[in-house]
Amino acid sequence: MRPNDRKYTKTHEWVKLSGEEVLIGITDFAVQELCSGNEGDLVYCDLPEAGRSLEAGETFGEIESVKAVADLNAPVAGTVVEANIAIEEHLEILSKDPWNQGWLIRVQPRSRSLDAPELMDAAAYEAMISAEKH
Amino acid sequence: MALDEVLLASADARPTLRFYSWKPHALSLGYFQRWAELAPRAAGSAVVRRFSGGGAIHHADELTFSIAAPLAHPLYRGEVARSYERVHALLAAAFAELGVHAELRGARALASERAGTGMCFHESTPLDLVWDERKGVGSAQRRKGERVLHHGSIKLGRTALEEGVAALRDHVPGIDAATLAHAIARAFERGARCRFERLDPDDAERSAASERAPFYSSTEFVRRR
Repeated sequence: MRPNDRKYTKTHEWVKLSGEEVLIGITDFAVQELCSGNEGDLVYCDLPEAGRSLEAGETFGEIESVKAVADLNAPVAGTVVEANIAIEEHLEILSKDPWNQGWLIRVQPRSRSLDAPELMDAAAYEAMISAEKH
Repeated sequence: MALDEVLLASADARPTLRFYSWKPHALSLGYFQRWAELAPRAAGSAVVRRFSGGGAIHHADELTFSIAAPLAHPLYRGEVARSYERVHALLAAAFAELGVHAELRGARALASERAGTGMCFHESTPLDLVWDERKGVGSAQRRKGERVLHHGSIKLGRTALEEGVAALRDHVPGIDAATLAHAIARAFERGARCRFERLDPDDAERSAASERAPFYSSTEFVRRR
């Protein structure tokens, strides 16, 4: 079971409340899809500068594995407070710990509610990826 | 490049397989490549940057293809690696029809590897298609929302920028891009149990692509990194 202290998007990002801010990252499923367990296959990650304003669903960054570039999409609207620059140098963190150390950006959200209908809880997210596999 | 972007953004659930050649010949950089590393090789060439990742490709004596499809399509569902296995199996069937035995690289070392050139064909992964112990297909994907754009390049002959790579004319003298494109389309129809409808871009797609086209060769995009 994936952590139920956060919400998930259909494009495999997660968002978690952290004080007055939110943390945003990508799921283990997204990492597995990109690199099939070979953590060295993740090669680049571009994250936004602090201060950038994001709309929900907007692309805030990009990640490249040896065979694909994928967009990173904002689950909620807000302003970027900080990007986890350690990730850009150490992409293996995303394979080892996508839920905690692997956060990508810290955002001051426009609203602290994570109740938007397009955001899924862990059970709904797992049901979605289980359906994708079959 | 611009038309591929339009096809990636399409709402059409039907996958598109597009074939093209380049006039003038050009060097295409991968989305994340550094311009400074490729600039010496680009001297005298037209240069664009792709929306897809990977290394640089010299689009000269070759066939380029692009596939735009929903990620839910059976070719692309699941891990990126599995999608390469499926697409490369279809391409291998097309090459077999032409008399070329291609297979996945796996763990073997290739004679086409060249360190530090930044060229796609001079680096390889276990899922690349090879023949004559050389890389035969350059490929890269862009995944955006619930769609994927898959770029591929197949060499008919070699150029100085891509010395040492596999070329189809070593086995099929005189083969041209159109003959190869037909063989690939037939192999996809057989292997993916589909039937292609031959289409040209419609007016809206053409217009969106022409508006966007200058961006791909702009200094802003080519030198973005």
